[in-house]
Amino acid sequence: MSAKIAIVGAGPSGCYTAQALLKRAPDLEVDILDAQPVPYGLVRYGVAADHQGTKGVARQFARVFTRQNAHFIGNLRVGRDVSMEELRGAYDAVVLAAGLSADRPLGIPGDDLPGVIGSGALTRALYEHPEAQALPELGEAPVVIGTGNVAIDILRLLAKTPEELKGSDLGPVPTDWLAARKIRRITVVGRSTAGAAKFSPVMVKELGELSQVDLRLPGCAQDAGEALQAAVAASAGPLPIEFRFQSRPVALEQADGALRLTVETPQGVEQIAATSVISAIGFTSDGALDRGALLQEVEAGTGRLYATGWFRNGSVGAIPQCREEGQRLAQQILDEITPDPARPGRALFADRSDVVDFDHWLQLDARELAAATDQRCRQKIHLREELLRPANLQDA
Amino acid sequence: MNIAIFFGTETGNAEMLAEDIATELEDQHETSVANLADTAPDALLTEGLNVIVCSSYDDGDFPASAKPFVEKVQAAKPDLTGVRFAIFGLGDSEYADTYGFGSMKVAELLVAHGAEALGDRPVHDAAGDALPEDMALPWLEEIIGGLDA
Ligand SMILES: Cc1cc2nc3c(=O)[nH]c(=O)nc-3n(C[C@H](O)[C@H](O)[C@H](O)COP(=O)(O)OP(=O)(O)OC[C@H]3O[C@@H](n4cnc5c(N)ncnc54)[C@H](O)[C@@H]3O)c2cc1C
Ligand SMILES: Cc1cc2nc3c(=O)[nH]c(=O)nc-3n(C[C@H](O)[C@H](O)[C@H](O)COP(=O)(O)O)c2cc1C
Repeated sequence: MSAKIAIVGAGPSGCYTAQALLKRAPDLEVDILDAQPVPYGLVRYGVAADHQGTKGVARQFARVFTRQNAHFIGNLRVGRDVSMEELRGAYDAVVLAAGLSADRPLGIPGDDLPGVIGSGALTRALYEHPEAQALPELGEAPVVIGTGNVAIDILRLLAKTPEELKGSDLGPVPTDWLAARKIRRITVVGRSTAGAAKFSPVMVKELGELSQVDLRLPGCAQDAGEALQAAVAASAGPLPIEFRFQSRPVALEQADGALRLTVETPQGVEQIAATSVISAIGFTSDGALDRGALLQEVEAGTGRLYATGWFRNGSVGAIPQCREEGQRLAQQILDEITPDPARPGRALFADRSDVVDFDHWLQLDARELAAATDQRCRQKIHLREELLRPANLQDA
Repeated sequence: MNIAIFFGTETGNAEMLAEDIATELEDQHETSVANLADTAPDALLTEGLNVIVCSSYDDGDFPASAKPFVEKVQAAKPDLTGVRFAIFGLGDSEYADTYGFGSMKVAELLVAHGAEALGDRPVHDAAGDALPEDMALPWLEEIIGGLDA
């Protein structure tokens, strides 16, 4: 008798967990639910539009559905369209792999002023997430707070020329937005020392190689790693990007129609003028699920409930970690699961006409690929209504 | 023929290709698939053929799952005379300076310990349009054809 498992979230964590479960036990009934009408989470909506190679994992994830027989149940938000109680009643095990999508606030006075935008909101707008807000006005001198890889991704996109975006899947609206930007300099602010910054060396190297970029480090960053120093030395474009390490943001205020960021540094308090502020300091729960309480239950280990990926760990770890954790979790679930044939599994959703399946995604995917211009590898469909009911889908 | 397929990976692409290769060959050959992370140097076949699929990371480094194997070879310095292998790389031409270096370094390591490399070392480009199995299967068929003859 095969057990029934629901995985909440079709991002890398959910897909790798399903892949590992079905590899070990091909007869399991594995359903992957996602709030969006399309699968793959941040592989589609976070991994940069110009890092298509990294998105190649989507081929593996597609096979989880097409060959390993996992079911995709899209456009279903757990906590709103179906409750956790219903889900746990219907399945032998539930895996929370819902990620973390809300931007962690800066937590300083003024962090909600107009002109302050989170990296999640900005990347969702750039990558045409169905729930994205409009692309913001960044002005001449944006300040980026945070020195992780997400911050570097944003710097790279902001600095690239149209030529350097060839082969990406950046959509026409974001492409025009980038082409119309008025940025003259970017300041990057981080609390850590240069040596302790979270970005990976290859990301900085790539940034330093762009035609427009002129990376700058003020004198105090003695412990900057080799990659950063080499990138600073190599970059000679017209757009200054200045890194200010050991600078802890303490306040934001409005001044002269722009923003003023106050930071504490070892040299004392300093002020940085900003036409906009992009915070890239990590992610937190969007509140649709009661994460704290659910994680406590997961830890207690008694409720046939599991969690993995960003939902479990916070916004740390890249795609390789999602895979390793998914493989470990799959083994744990198989060791612990006790199927109960009375649990209905996906029959719970039999009456729902508003969910979409994996075939629906395959048709959207084919359409997006076919619509690509010669500068682009894909043209994403942006609006939720279009994703749910694309005109003449059967013609795709 | 005995064909042992090994993969070195971080995000699983190399594992998927290793499995595709095994599926393709298993009707005519005895095949096995193993992660390099779980492989000791003496698991390399001296009769038959070893096929290695390996990606690249961080400035031309080995992928995480190949590292334990590399360290074992470096520590034990095994004599790999008689070991024949074919190696296929996964990479991304956006990393132009170090394209396919992970597989290249594995090949160099094995050859340095006496193993014999068969055929060339193609690299699949994650930034390109070709599918890895469409490149790897004909390449391997030719190598195996040469051995059977
Ligand atoms: C901007 C950005 C760029 C990144 N770039 C890279 C990179 O280049 N390389 C790399 O290795 N890693 C990168 N990462 C990290 C990588 O994206 C994460 O490690 C990974 O996506 C985490 O996977 P996850 O499945 O836990 O979460 P997610 O990918 O966020 O997937 C969660 C899924 O759950 C769904 N969901 C959420 N709530 C609900 C609900 N209530 N009901 C149903 N479904 C729900 C979401 O729609 C989503 O599809 C990047 C992250 C960001 C933010
Ligand atoms: C951070 C990072 C660094 C990479 N570095 C290289 C590199 O130096 N050379 C290369 O050819 N490919 C590089 N790649 C591309 C990967 O090797 C490629 O995506 C491959 O398909 C991954 O296969 P895997 O899933 O088996 O690990 C890199 C990818 C990432 C995400």
